Amino acid sequence: MNAIGKTELVKRHDWRLRGRAWVLGHDIQHQGGVVPAWIVTGRHMDPAEIIPHLFEETDPGFHTRCRPGDIVVAGRSFGMGPKMNGYIAMKALGLGLVCESMPFLGYRGAIGAGLRVLTDCQGATEECETGDELEVDFDSGMFINHTRGTRREYPPLADSLKEIVALGGNIGWLQQWWAGQQGARGGSGS
Amino acid sequence: MPMTAVEKVLASCSGRSELRAGDVVEPQPDFVMIHDGVVLSAKRELDQLGIDRLAQPERVMIVTDHEVIYPNARSAERGAANRRAAKQWGVGRFYDVGQGGHGHIFPMESGLLLPGMFYFDNDRHSTNAGAIGAFGFRMGSEISRVLATGTNWVMVPKTIRLALTGRARPGVFGRDIGFVIAKHFREGGSWGVNPDYRVLEFAGDLDQFDLAQRTALCSSPTEVRAYGTFFPPSAAIVERAKAVAQRPFTPVYPDDNASYEARLSLDISSIEPQVALPGGVHRAVDVSEVAGTPVDHAFIGSCGSGHYEDLQLAARALAGKRIAPGVRLMIAPGSETSSRRMLDDGLMKVFVEAGAVMLPAGCGVCNDGVIGPVDGGEVSISTFAGNNNGRIGPKDAQLFLGNPATVAASAVAGCIVDPRTVMDFVQ
Repeated sequence: MNAIGKTELVKRHDWRLRGRAWVLGHDIQHQGGVVPAWIVTGRHMDPAEIIPHLFEETDPGFHTRCRPGDIVVAGRSFGMGPKMNGYIAMKALGLGLVCESMPFLGYRGAIGAGLRVLTDCQGATEECETGDELEVDFDSGMFINHTRGTRREYPPLADSLKEIVALGGNIGWLQQWWAGQQGARGGSGS
Repeated sequence: MPMTAVEKVLASCSGRSELRAGDVVEPQPDFVMIHDGVVLSAKRELDQLGIDRLAQPERVMIVTDHEVIYPNARSAERGAANRRAAKQWGVGRFYDVGQGGHGHIFPMESGLLLPGMFYFDNDRHSTNAGAIGAFGFRMGSEISRVLATGTNWVMVPKTIRLALTGRARPGVFGRDIGFVIAKHFREGGSWGVNPDYRVLEFAGDLDQFDLAQRTALCSSPTEVRAYGTFFPPSAAIVERAKAVAQRPFTPVYPDDNASYEARLSLDISSIEPQVALPGGVHRAVDVSEVAGTPVDHAFIGSCGSGHYEDLQLAARALAGKRIAPGVRLMIAPGSETSSRRMLDDGLMKVFVEAGAVMLPAGCGVCNDGVIGPVDGGEVSISTFAGNNNGRIGPKDAQLFLGNPATVAASAVAGCIVDPRTVMDFVQ
C-alpha cells in the first residue's frame, strides 16, 4: 500500500454520520454491558450472531430500534475490556460511537473492528438526549445536534488510525496489506 | 527532550530520536511471543486471509505454558496444531511440551529477554518484562498482524513514577507490596490516579529487590490494568543478565526530568505480610486479619511467583514438614531449568517429602484451573496472578493470595498463617 493509496482511501471513506442519538450512562463494560458475557467467552465474532444481543443488558431490544447512521453517545469509561465483539456488531449495523472516555484497550478494539469512534468527548452525554438528530464527522471531530441547534468540536480520530477504520478494521487492513505484498512480489517478477 | 523509560525504548525501536506519551508508532520488536492457547486461532485467521508466511519467523517464539499437560482431547489436538504451525511458519524458537517453561519467566532467566528490549506478546502478563528493565506489549488477537507484518501500531502510554522508600521488613516480599500498590491504585484508592494503559515505572530504594522480587512487584499492577511496568536495572540485575545473555544488550534508564503523569511514593517499611481477599489483588489486608481460616487447596507458581528464588522461599517453609491432612498443595516452577536445578539442590526432595504435587514448568493451576481446580465452597490460598471469583472453579470458592512463604506455611498449618510465626526471616 503506497502513501497515495492510503490518503485516497481515508479521503473516500464516509466519515460523516447523520442519525438519531442513543444516549447511555457511565461505566458500561464491554462484557455484560455492550454484549452478554457468553458472547465474549464463546469468542463469537460473527455480526449476525452478536447483533440480536447488542446492549441486551443495557437497553433490551436496541437492535430492533436502531438504524444505520445512528450514533451511540456514551458516558465515562465506556466498553471496559480489551475485546471487540460488540464493536463488530455496531459496525455491521452502520452505527457510530461517541463517548466521554473509553479505556484504551476498548478503544483499540473499536478501531480494530473498523467502527467510527470518538473518545475523550467531554460532556457529550449532556449535549444530547436519546432521539435527538445528530450529525458527527469522525474525521474532524465536529458534533452537531440539529434538534438543539448546538455544535461542539471534539478530538478527531487520530490520523494514523483512520486507515484501519477506512479499511473496515484489522481484518480488512491485513487483507489490503497482503494484496499489496502479493502485488509487489508479482511486479518484481519473483 | 527528557524521556521516560518507555518513551526511550519505543523511540529506539521506532527509529525516532524522541517520543512522548500519545504518539503512535510501529516499533520493530526484538522478538514476538505467542502462547500455546492462541497459536491455533492466529493461524486460522492468517490462513483464511491466505497469509502463509510470517514477516520475521526467526524472531517468533511459541511457548507452551498454558496447557503443558494436555488435560483433554481438545488440548492434545491444539498441541498437534501448534507443532504443525511452528513447522509451517518456520518459527525461530518453538518451546514444545517440557521445554522452556513459563513464557513470562524463563526468557528472563535464560538470557532471551534482556534489559532495554522491546517485544510483542499476545498475553497481558508480558508486563513481567519490566522486572529486568524491558517492555513486552500485549496485542491480544492483534498478534496476528504482528506475526504477518512484523509490527503493529502502538500508542505510547503515559508513565506513572512510583518511588518505593525504606526497607521491606523481614518476611515481607514483592507480592505483599504489590497487593498494597494495587489497593492504592484501585478506583476509590488513595492515589487518585488510574493505572489503565499506563506504564508504572519504579524508583526509590530498589537495590533490595532481586529479579524474583521485581517480577512479583510487576504482577499486581497488571491486574489493575497497568499496560507496562519498569524497573531501572540495578548493577546486580545487569550482571545477572550479562552472565546468561544470548546477545548483546544496552540497559535503558529514564531521564531525570522526564514527564510523568504522576509521581507517587510508598513507604514500604511499615508493610506487613499481606493476603489478598477473594475477589481481586487489590483487596489486601494484613495476614493477621485472616489467620486461622482453614484451607483446602494451595498453589505456588505463576508469572507472579515462578522464579527459582520463589521456590527456594517456599522450600524453606516446607523443609522437614508435611502439609496438613486434607490440604492439597501444587507447585509449578517457572522454567524447566528451575525443575532441573531443584533436583540437583534438593528442593524437589523437600517438596515431595512435604506431600506437595509437582507440576511441569508453566502456568500451572493459575490458567483458569484447567488443571487442579477447586470445588464449590472450597478455600484456596495461592500465588496466582489474580483471584477473581470463579477463576479456578465455582464462584463460591474462596481464593486468597499470599507470598510463597505464606502459602507454603499455610499448607503446612492447614489454615492461613503469618509465616513469621513459623519460620525465621533475616533482614
